[in-house]
Amino acid sequence: MEPRGAGPVAPTAGRARRGRDAALLTLPAVLVLLVFFAATATIVVASLSVGGGRWGLRHYLRLCSDPLYLGYLWRSFRVALYCTPITLLLGYPVAYVMARTTGPVRMALTLLLVVQFFTSYVIRAYALILVLGNNGIINRTLLALGAVDRPLKLLYNELGVAISLVLIAVPFMVFPIYGVLKNVEPNLEAAATSLGADRRRVFWHVVLPLSLPGVLAGAILVFLFDLTAYIMPGLLGGGYFDMAANVIYDQAMEVRDRGFASAMSMGLLVVTLLMVYLSNRWGARVSERAGE
Amino acid sequence: MRRVGWLAWSLTALVAVGLTAPLLVVIAASFNPTNELLFPPRGLSLAWYANIFRRQAFLASFRFSAALALASTACSLVMGLLCAVVLVRHRFRGRQLLATALMSPLIVPQVVLGMSLLIFLSTIGLVSSVIGLALLHVMLTVPYTTRVLTAALTRFPESLEDAAVIHGAPRPLAFLLVTLPSIKPGVVAGAIFAFVTSFDNFTASQFLVWDRTTLPVEIYSYIRTENDPTVAAISALLVLGTVGIVVLVERWVGLETLTG
Repeated sequence: MEPRGAGPVAPTAGRARRGRDAALLTLPAVLVLLVFFAATATIVVASLSVGGGRWGLRHYLRLCSDPLYLGYLWRSFRVALYCTPITLLLGYPVAYVMARTTGPVRMALTLLLVVQFFTSYVIRAYALILVLGNNGIINRTLLALGAVDRPLKLLYNELGVAISLVLIAVPFMVFPIYGVLKNVEPNLEAAATSLGADRRRVFWHVVLPLSLPGVLAGAILVFLFDLTAYIMPGLLGGGYFDMAANVIYDQAMEVRDRGFASAMSMGLLVVTLLMVYLSNRWGARVSERAGE
Repeated sequence: MRRVGWLAWSLTALVAVGLTAPLLVVIAASFNPTNELLFPPRGLSLAWYANIFRRQAFLASFRFSAALALASTACSLVMGLLCAVVLVRHRFRGRQLLATALMSPLIVPQVVLGMSLLIFLSTIGLVSSVIGLALLHVMLTVPYTTRVLTAALTRFPESLEDAAVIHGAPRPLAFLLVTLPSIKPGVVAGAIFAFVTSFDNFTASQFLVWDRTTLPVEIYSYIRTENDPTVAAISALLVLGTVGIVVLVERWVGLETLTG
C-alpha cells in the first residue's frame, strides 16, 4: 500500500494518486467480480446456443410453449406473492415489540432471531420436517386431543413448503423493519394519542407510514428468497412440490440440458431484476414521503 | 411496556414459539435410542452422536467446510477492508458503480449463480477443484464484509489516523495500529457474517462440489436418502455451536453490531 497524499496536506497531488490507488486497492475484489460477470454472461450465451456453434431461440421457445416448465416459474412467483404478505403480518409485530421494549424482551428476541439467521436453512427445514410430519408434535397433539382422527397432511405438499418459507424468512422481514422503527421517535405516538387518536389510528396514520421504507426493504428480501427457494421445496416438498430453482438444478445436473436450464435461469433472473428495479423506484418515493 | 397492544404481543409470541420449537424438537429427537424421530424422545441415548463419528463422510465434509469458510473469511475480510477504504476515503468516477457492482452477487438467485459458475469454470477447464467453491464463497461474502466495514470506517474519524502520520508513522502502519483496532466491532461482525454465509451455503455450492462435499450438501443428501436421527444429532451440535457464537458476540462486541 502506498501512502496517499492526505487530503488537507496535499490536495492536488492527492487527487491524481487517488484514482490509481483506488484501482490498485480494489483489484482483488474487482477480479472476483469479473469472474462473476463472466459467469453470468456464460448463462446468456448458453441459453442462446443451440449446439454445433449455432445460435437460436430454441430453448426460449421451448420454455414459452411448454406449460409444464412455464408453470414452475409461475408457481414460484405465486408462492412468493402470497408468502410475502403472511411473513410481513408475522414479522411486523415482532419488529414493533423489539423497537418498543427494552431490556430482557428485546434481548431475548434479538438473540432468537440472530440464532435463526445464522442457522443453516438445511437444518431449519429439517427441524420443520420433524414438527410437521405425521409423527410430528403437531399431529400427535391434535390426535391426542381428538381434534382430528387421522394426521393432517402438513408435509410433502404446498402447505408444508409455504409454512417453512414463511417461518424461515421471518428474520429477513424483522431486521429491516426493526432498523427503521427503533429510530422513530416514540413521543410521536404519545403526541398523537394526547391529541385524541386511539391506538388503531396512531398505528395506521403515524407508525405504519413512517416504517414503510423498512417494510419495503424486508418485503423485497423475502419475496426474492421465496421466489428462488430451493431447500424448502426440496426438503418439505420432498419431490412433490418442486419450485423453479429445483427444476433448474434437475435440468442442469440430472437431465444435463444446460441450454434449457440457462433459459429458465434467465427467466428467474429477469423476474428478480424487475422486482429489484420496481422496489428501488417505489423505495425512493416511499422514503421521500416518510421523510416529510 | 408502553403502548404495545395485545395483538402485537400474541403474534410475537406465536413467532417466537414457531421459530424456537422446531430447534428444541430436533435437539430432543437426537437423543432417541431407536431409528424413530420422536418428540418427546423414547429414552436418552447418545448412539446417534456416536454415529456421526463413525461416518467418515460427515467428519470429512465438516473439516472441508470449516477450512473453506476460514479461508473465504480471511480473503473476504482483506478484500472488503480494501474496498471499504476506497469507498469511504477516495473520490473517483465510477465509485457508485463499484459500490453497486460489489453487491450484485447477492441479487442473482443462488441456483443461477451456482450453475453459471459451473458452466463458466468447465468452459475454461477448471472443474473438480476447490477454486470454484472458494471463488463462489468469496463472491458471496465480500458484499457483507464491505458493507459492515464501510459503515465502521465512515464512523471512524480519519483525523486520528492523520495524527499518527503527522507524528511520523507511515500511513499503512498508522492504519494497522490506529484505525484497525478502532473498527474492531466491524471487523468481528464482518468476519462472523462471512464465516456463517460460507459455512451454511448450500444452494449454489451443490453445483461445485465434486467427490469432496461441504457439510450442508452432505446433510441435505442424507436427509433425502437415509433420514435417521444422525442428522438430528449433527443439527443439535450446530445449533448449540451457533448459540455459543452468538452469545460470545454479544459479550464481546454487542449484538447491535450484527443487527445494525
